[in-house]
Amino acid sequence: MAYNYELIPEHELVSASEAAKIAKKFRTPLEKFPKILESDPQAKKLGASAGRLIAIHREDPTGKYVYYRYVVKS
Amino acid sequence: MQAEGIDYIRFTIVSPETIKKMSVAKLIVPDTYNEDGYPIDGGLVDQRLGVIDPGLKCKTCGGRAKTCPGHFGHIELVRPVIHPEFAKTIYLLLQSTCNQCHRVLLSEEQIKELKPAIKTYVAGDEEEKETVVPTETQQIQAQVLDEGSKAQLLKKLRSLKKCPHCGAQQAKIKLERPTYFYADGNRIKPDEIRDWLQRISGDDLEPLGMDRTATRPEWLVLTTLMVPPVNVRPSITLESGERSEDDLTHKLVDIMRINQRLEQDIDAGAPQIIIDDLWELLQYQVTTYFNNETPGVPVARHRSTRPLKTLAQRLKGKEGRLRYNLSGKRVNFSARTVISSDASLTINQVGIPRRIAENLSVPFYVTLWNIEAAKELLARKEYPLVVNVISKEGIRKRVADTNREELEKIIAPGFVLERQLVDGDIALFNRQPTLHRLSIMAHQVKVLPGRTMRLHVSVAFPYNADFDGDEMNLHVPQSLEAQAEARYLMQPKDLVLSPRDGRTIMFTEEDEIAGAYFLTKDDAHFSKDEACIMLSNIGITELPKAAKNGMYSGKSIFSMVIPKGMDFDEEYKGNHVVIKDGELKEGIIDARLIGMGGTLIQHVFSEYGSDATMYFILNAAKLSLRVLLMEGVTISIRDYYNSDFVNKERVKIVDEVTQKASMLLEKYKNKQLEALPGYTKKETFETETLVALEEARGMASKTLEKVLDRSNMAYLMVLVHARGSVLNLVQTSMFLGQQAVRGKRPSRGYTARTLPYFKRNEKSPEARGFIRSSFFDGLNPIEFYMHAMGARDSGMTKSLVTAVSGYLQRRLINALQDLYVDDNLSVKDASESLIETIYGGDGIDPMQEQVAKEM
Repeated sequence: MAYNYELIPEHELVSASEAAKIAKKFRTPLEKFPKILESDPQAKKLGASAGRLIAIHREDPTGKYVYYRYVVKS
Repeated sequence: MQAEGIDYIRFTIVSPETIKKMSVAKLIVPDTYNEDGYPIDGGLVDQRLGVIDPGLKCKTCGGRAKTCPGHFGHIELVRPVIHPEFAKTIYLLLQSTCNQCHRVLLSEEQIKELKPAIKTYVAGDEEEKETVVPTETQQIQAQVLDEGSKAQLLKKLRSLKKCPHCGAQQAKIKLERPTYFYADGNRIKPDEIRDWLQRISGDDLEPLGMDRTATRPEWLVLTTLMVPPVNVRPSITLESGERSEDDLTHKLVDIMRINQRLEQDIDAGAPQIIIDDLWELLQYQVTTYFNNETPGVPVARHRSTRPLKTLAQRLKGKEGRLRYNLSGKRVNFSARTVISSDASLTINQVGIPRRIAENLSVPFYVTLWNIEAAKELLARKEYPLVVNVISKEGIRKRVADTNREELEKIIAPGFVLERQLVDGDIALFNRQPTLHRLSIMAHQVKVLPGRTMRLHVSVAFPYNADFDGDEMNLHVPQSLEAQAEARYLMQPKDLVLSPRDGRTIMFTEEDEIAGAYFLTKDDAHFSKDEACIMLSNIGITELPKAAKNGMYSGKSIFSMVIPKGMDFDEEYKGNHVVIKDGELKEGIIDARLIGMGGTLIQHVFSEYGSDATMYFILNAAKLSLRVLLMEGVTISIRDYYNSDFVNKERVKIVDEVTQKASMLLEKYKNKQLEALPGYTKKETFETETLVALEEARGMASKTLEKVLDRSNMAYLMVLVHARGSVLNLVQTSMFLGQQAVRGKRPSRGYTARTLPYFKRNEKSPEARGFIRSSFFDGLNPIEFYMHAMGARDSGMTKSLVTAVSGYLQRRLINALQDLYVDDNLSVKDASESLIETIYGGDGIDPMQEQVAKEM
């Protein structure tokens, strides 16, 4: 699996308390965040189980920003 | 009966009992009106079904034509009939139940195994949390009920030879479209089918995918037919006084007539064959009543051979109830005419013909503070008239000369006047196809003489409009909220920058660019008279500072339209434009600055705002047009004469590329040509030859650019990006160059050649669409043919691409339409699902921010 390819942005596991704060910030429950499968290589690498939140640190021509994905059962 | 909210809607099958309960009349007479033109009791326009004639009273609710909503009736069918739209469902039921004991063809164990799976499948979201996580086997079984595997289960049931319950031999059921069923080749009649379905137990319905609390399978075979109220099928009285019934009424008469005859024949003890024939006919009538386009059924026709429009036809398709009446609505307060241009209107205005303005109205809300103005308006006897007066109670009165004074006395705060459209009103202006938000913009009305709606040429671009007969629509927002929304969000002056990339999409074009060049070129000087004419034309009554010789430089005149105190500095391709303190010091104003994506317009917009931009575009365009009018640009055939040098070059270029092509051919024939990766040698030869021959145009362009200068008006227009390109010049005066079909040299037509004038498999430039002649010289027949091939190909491709990409965009828009940017700059959809954490990855709105430079 391509865990560390240069085009894959950095994935980071968010703690549960932090995730709750983020959900509050975006005023929408975590279930309504973009999803990522538990079986996704990046989720596996981080050992993220369903219900956790993954922060993706993206950098593209528009700028640097954080994207979130909610881990779901595959 | 008004519901606060709808929790859920359940669609089920109506039982005969429900039909009877709903029905207010059992219909028995297959006719409509008697000789006196009075509705027959028990006929199809029975007065208990509601009334549509004014003056009559509904016998059910006592309401009149306007208040009676209509009531359902019913017909009792003498013999049951298959509901044609459910034939397939019935087929599935017959196949999966035993023909003897009418149980599902599943053993008890199988049913038990399936049960929990069905439960989780049916329960859905609501009970998701309560239900225990299904075991793996159950999950697999749940999948069995998924669409795809449902068919697999059925296949299994169909292949069963014996009933697992009673052991009875199973017959092979066949469905012959639309409504005939056979068991091992013997016809099963609808009444037998009904009996069969009736005996399927409620417990067995679940594994069959039916909801036992809602539906019984035997209801799929009709014994009573619901008759819609007359409101649904109104009859029309023709001018001659003759009545013309609705298609549905006709169809229902047919059904009842056959039904009656069938009853009489059965009572009279007619032979079975005759009864069966009539029964079949009844089935046909009912089938076409539901859907007159049922496959395999002859279309029922009107006397005039016109096919009848029955229930399904009313709902289906583009002209059906759903797409025509429910998704598509017609509106009031709108207008449509041909558009034309008007350089004197701002981009924010729209010129409206007086006749349209007189026909459109806008509400005027009377308050304590404007009651005097309201009275004055109401008293008027010509053009901006008050059309209607609406009282506080909402009673609308039309204003006429006879009641004007009377109305004047009674108006008070809280009244609403409807007055004709006047200058300054806001109106939405639209051109179809409405592809983006700039296809509908809010303009300020300017009432003008004439019959066309007028707009400034600079807003024609976002609408993609031209004036060769285009028509556009106008809508007048009525409520104050709508007007405010239009004013704040939709005015062209606020939308100068593109939502795509933040570059200007309202700009000057063509003549205006050419004019700006003549005005701002370095040696442009104008007399005081000329300067006065030019500036007074745009409403400026001051003169700039004159030069020492008493003349006015063009740059100083152009500076008059630049916002006061503006600074700007930009260099592109040797044209260094410097504006200091609102003065154009250096450089030539060209399309780069005030044309599409013009940086100067963009600068004005971001530094001085929408109004300044609006007037800058208006004045710059108008001023430039005036200059062009005074200077004049003429092109003639002389601009396309070639010098001897160019003619020599022309031959040289053509020789050079054809030589290159023949060298490639030589190499190819000698098998010396190295194939490009992924291509055959033949393909390599073709692409390389094409590249070599296409080079000719570029070489010719360079030659022309070397030779031509600004004294050649055609070339001048190219240089300032007013109109035309170097390629146009090359093709008119030098040669057309290589034609292409599907991105390759033309090769098809005759066997192994394009035309019979060539040898088979000839690969010379001429045989494959290279044109040496120019438009000036004219083309020889072969060249003409090659050119036509290229032109047809590009024409076809273009029309195909627009259709395909148009539909693609429509789908994209539909998919993305409920996304919105929340106030914390995140993007969400209608269900509040997060789509993006920050809009576009940077939270920048291109329409507001000057981002083009950075991109």
